Amino acid sequence: MNKLMPLTQAVEMIKDGDTVGIGGNVLHRAPMALIREIARQGRKNLRIVKTAGAMDVDLLCLAECVYSVDAGFISYETEYSLAGHYRKAVQNGIVKGNEHACYTVISALRAASAGIPFMPVKGLQISDLIAVNDYFTKIKDPFSGEDVTVVKAIRPDVVIIHVQEADINGNARITGPKYDDILLSRAADKVIISAETIVPETKFAFSSDKADIPHFMTAAVVHAPKGAAPCSCPGKYDIDRSSLDEFKAIKDKDGLASYLGRYMSADYRR
Amino acid sequence: MPHILVGICLPITEDKGEKTMSYKELSAQDYRVCDIMVCAMARLIKNGNTVFHGVSSHMPMTAVMLAKALHAPDAVYLNIPGGVDPKPAALQKYTSAGNELLERSSSYFPLAEVFDLSMRGKLDVAFLSGIQFDVNGNVNASVIGDYHKPKVRMPGGAGSAVLIPTAKRAIIWRTKHDKRTFVNKVDFVTTKGNIDRIVTPLCVFKYENGKLVLDTVHPTSSIEEVIENTSFKVEYSKLEYTAPPTAAEMAMMKRIDPKDYRNIEF
Repeated sequence: MNKLMPLTQAVEMIKDGDTVGIGGNVLHRAPMALIREIARQGRKNLRIVKTAGAMDVDLLCLAECVYSVDAGFISYETEYSLAGHYRKAVQNGIVKGNEHACYTVISALRAASAGIPFMPVKGLQISDLIAVNDYFTKIKDPFSGEDVTVVKAIRPDVVIIHVQEADINGNARITGPKYDDILLSRAADKVIISAETIVPETKFAFSSDKADIPHFMTAAVVHAPKGAAPCSCPGKYDIDRSSLDEFKAIKDKDGLASYLGRYMSADYRR
Repeated sequence: MPHILVGICLPITEDKGEKTMSYKELSAQDYRVCDIMVCAMARLIKNGNTVFHGVSSHMPMTAVMLAKALHAPDAVYLNIPGGVDPKPAALQKYTSAGNELLERSSSYFPLAEVFDLSMRGKLDVAFLSGIQFDVNGNVNASVIGDYHKPKVRMPGGAGSAVLIPTAKRAIIWRTKHDKRTFVNKVDFVTTKGNIDRIVTPLCVFKYENGKLVLDTVHPTSSIEEVIENTSFKVEYSKLEYTAPPTAAEMAMMKRIDPKDYRNIEF
């Protein structure tokens, strides 16, 4: 089934209030074209899920699209420092920062992918995170009688992932680090793929390199060359430093609008 | 920081007693605090250890590569992108979680599996950081002020809350050493205990009988400076100094990290 569609149409599948899982890790292979379009379309009250996010989450916070963020780490790494818009939004009570350990996000997604309501997590024993967050609690291990911390399943309504190669049916292959994207795809209700290259339908069939995400999991495919920029996309391009600097200097929504405007010709090229 | 000439008759504090490092004596002009910290971290890695670092971790990244190049060739280097024992052609300034740590590695073992490894008791060393630490070994990487309406929202503990309790040795580094970092009581307990060492720009703390105590003072600092910049009482049985980097360590560090990313947190 041909699921190739324009960026705008794919993003229309995301509804206000949806739980949205984002692929990639920090500044690597974040689905930035999809993120920019979510901001342009003005989605509201999204519940964001990611192990370690950076510009993607920061941009959505600045665009006021976010209700909550479930993540282990939201920051740029050392050189580009903190995610200022996320930080401000949480400090002002606009966004709910649901702190996880990266592993508890993984465990919550594993629970969703296995269709179970929660997952025991071994490491989380002594932590104020258990008391202040309602997605963690302690129960008795029914076998040993010992306390075990559990994390509630997170089932994303939509997961957005940028890949190097996909075919029109939604088979998608990631080159380089896959981070938690495969798990995200299994935990989600719907998967939206953006791809650097749309490969022929025969490509994966005749190659030993099979797709990581099979077509039946994918709801939409968008052809988005440079769709991770200004983040990196292994094998294709590294970060775009001038665009990152430009974004880091933005103070308000007007600044963001003109920044997003400058990406329109690239994002809508296909 | 006071400038002290060192390297002449300092004890080599190889507290594990495994191996005495021979080194050409260097003077304080030859190394900086970041070099001392990276070397201190590298020496805590034993040959054969499984070792992990995460995001924003240029110092541990250099330390793991340094250990593997010198005294711990069979240490197993694990990271977020999932490259086992990567030999990157070049490091990146903006990240310690990029594709360069997967390229030129022969097997793939990504983050989720590293966590699982730690949970089942097979991760020897995890390098982590935090914002506040107290004498009881509590670590805060989350918030300053109220959790739900924080004065300062930190990036978050990433793996800390599950790795510090489960890794055999959790080694923490923090490039700030002041009274707001080493506090009497943390604002929020992201996780607690099981800290092997905390490496700071002034000293190394160790966790003993449920308390943080002084392990060694860096040759570039002094016990007075450590006390002055720590809110809790600094306890130690015998005043010892961190062994300064050797000529071999300095040379290897410059080869591993020619662009000096180990210094970017300062």
